[in-house]
Amino acid sequence: MKPSTILPLALAAALAFALLPLVTSSNYIVGVGISALIFTVAAAALNLVYGFTGLLSFAQLGFWGIGGYVTALTVVTFGGSFWWGLLWAALLNAVVALVIGYPTLRTNRHAFVVVTLTFALLVTLIARDWVDLTRGPLGIPDLPKPSAFGHHFGSTSQYYWLAWAFSVAMLAFLYALCSSRIGRTLVAIKQNEPLVRAQGISPMPYKLAAFAIAAAVTGAAGGVYTFHLGIIDPLFLDFYYMQTFLIIVIIGGAGSFWGVVAAGLVLSALPEALRFSADFRMIIYGVILVAAMFVMPSGVAGWLRERRIARLREQLR
Amino acid sequence: MTIDAVYLLQLTLNGIALGLLYALVAAGLSLIFGVMEIINFAHGELLMLGAFAMTFALPVLGLLYWPALAASILAIMMVGFAIYELLLSRLKPDEFERSILITLGLSIIIIHVMQYLFTATPRMVDTQYGFEGIEIGNIRLTWTRIIGAGAAIVAFVGLYMVLRYTQFGRAMRAIAQNREAALMVGIRPRVVARNAVVLAAGLCGLAGAAIAPIQLVTPYMGQFLIFKAFALVIIGGLGNIPGAIVAAIGLGLIESWIGGFFEIVWQEAAVFVIMIVVLFVRPDGLFKRGGMRVG
Repeated sequence: MKPSTILPLALAAALAFALLPLVTSSNYIVGVGISALIFTVAAAALNLVYGFTGLLSFAQLGFWGIGGYVTALTVVTFGGSFWWGLLWAALLNAVVALVIGYPTLRTNRHAFVVVTLTFALLVTLIARDWVDLTRGPLGIPDLPKPSAFGHHFGSTSQYYWLAWAFSVAMLAFLYALCSSRIGRTLVAIKQNEPLVRAQGISPMPYKLAAFAIAAAVTGAAGGVYTFHLGIIDPLFLDFYYMQTFLIIVIIGGAGSFWGVVAAGLVLSALPEALRFSADFRMIIYGVILVAAMFVMPSGVAGWLRERRIARLREQLR
Repeated sequence: MTIDAVYLLQLTLNGIALGLLYALVAAGLSLIFGVMEIINFAHGELLMLGAFAMTFALPVLGLLYWPALAASILAIMMVGFAIYELLLSRLKPDEFERSILITLGLSIIIIHVMQYLFTATPRMVDTQYGFEGIEIGNIRLTWTRIIGAGAAIVAFVGLYMVLRYTQFGRAMRAIAQNREAALMVGIRPRVVARNAVVLAAGLCGLAGAAIAPIQLVTPYMGQFLIFKAFALVIIGGLGNIPGAIVAAIGLGLIESWIGGFFEIVWQEAAVFVIMIVVLFVRPDGLFKRGGMRVG
């Protein structure tokens, strides 16, 4: 679809989502809505790295966890506010991403995948074993809900609006980035890196920037999600979250901004609606992942695009 | 801090045993990468299945160690064969990201099916050797540990012989070094890739079966190990089997020493710090890479 048709559509959808707590009084459904919004932001950040730039990064899980812990620790241990916590989470993640990204992106894409994966595990281990800082497996319970300008986001539906505002702002930022010249350069790097070099563009700063921005956004999303849960412990770094983000990106269509956003909203609500047990849900996720890789490796958006191109070819023949 | 010589020796022996175990997993990963240029995310789950196979085989075979070990290895090789034929054989060359996502999905399925069937409760298994062992001075080593380490060393020598001197192994090296040239002299990549996956699965099965009497067996045991094995493969140089083995034994020793003197955080963080440093200094891994090397 053209941007002129999709932008009003997206705006309408965003406003419709803002009304959710007015439509239902069930805290459970509003809670699912919060998860859906935040998972969509995290998946859109992964899409920036994997879908647009072509770097399969498992480090998003680590950034998500660091974001959660930094925000929680800023409030509980260091006595700062929730908003400062989010800012620190984003900044720290961007710095960590630069430190890891620089040596790793110099090597090949194989090494990049493995290093980001090991990084995610390292963060889990630190969360579990550095008891003095993170309080280990017990975690930090009873995180206070934030407030701003004298308004307290105490109830689930009030927190929903906070999450909504955060998600809309982040998605708008990512959309602006992805549809800008920078976004097009990232796609070019994914499709043909030697050609990009030949055009006089150095890919490294672009890759690093995409990785760092995605890390910062994921970290802030992790912070918002932690305060929705009200507790953080090493389970916040469960591989389940990474799998969810990945499946959203793959089903939605890596490299398609709106495809991933739509898939994020649908797929995070679906398992809740079907009420599978945790084990069973993971088995289904695994089967979906394997099946999607064989049946439609470029996701729903990619599949639609291929059909449109096929139809164009028919007409031109 | 005074360093007790006996304590240090004990740590060193533990480190070597741990390193050999890492090496079995890392060598298999490296072998698969060398031949197919893919990374098998479900490799740790093969190890876990090997350990489970051992816990089922031992009681059936009257706690006899060797037949149970053989049965477990054989079972995991069959699993490897099935994984190749059902999933990996459909991958085209240069579909690295896709291979990771497919094997990741497989790993999720295996872990959660095992947990669904057998619960997450850790299992222990007894062998004919029980907790008997030998004592050298103040150091005690159980037979299960000694045999595990011995079997790993035998497996490496065997792997070296196979890759170096048999047609079967030469074909694998040929594919790894130059795919087109190997095709031209009549080597079938599909068969070679299948052999490599089955061989790597066998190594993993051996590691899992050897570890079962030493550690608790849970559906998650493979996950933590596999991350380290990935890092080792990077440190040693992707596709470099001796590099991975040397890096693995080195890491086992380092982790064991650190664990003996410092807090556990540092033990777990060691592998990551080493990997980042190696990537800074030598982006292609510690040991030079150039096709799949065996010696």
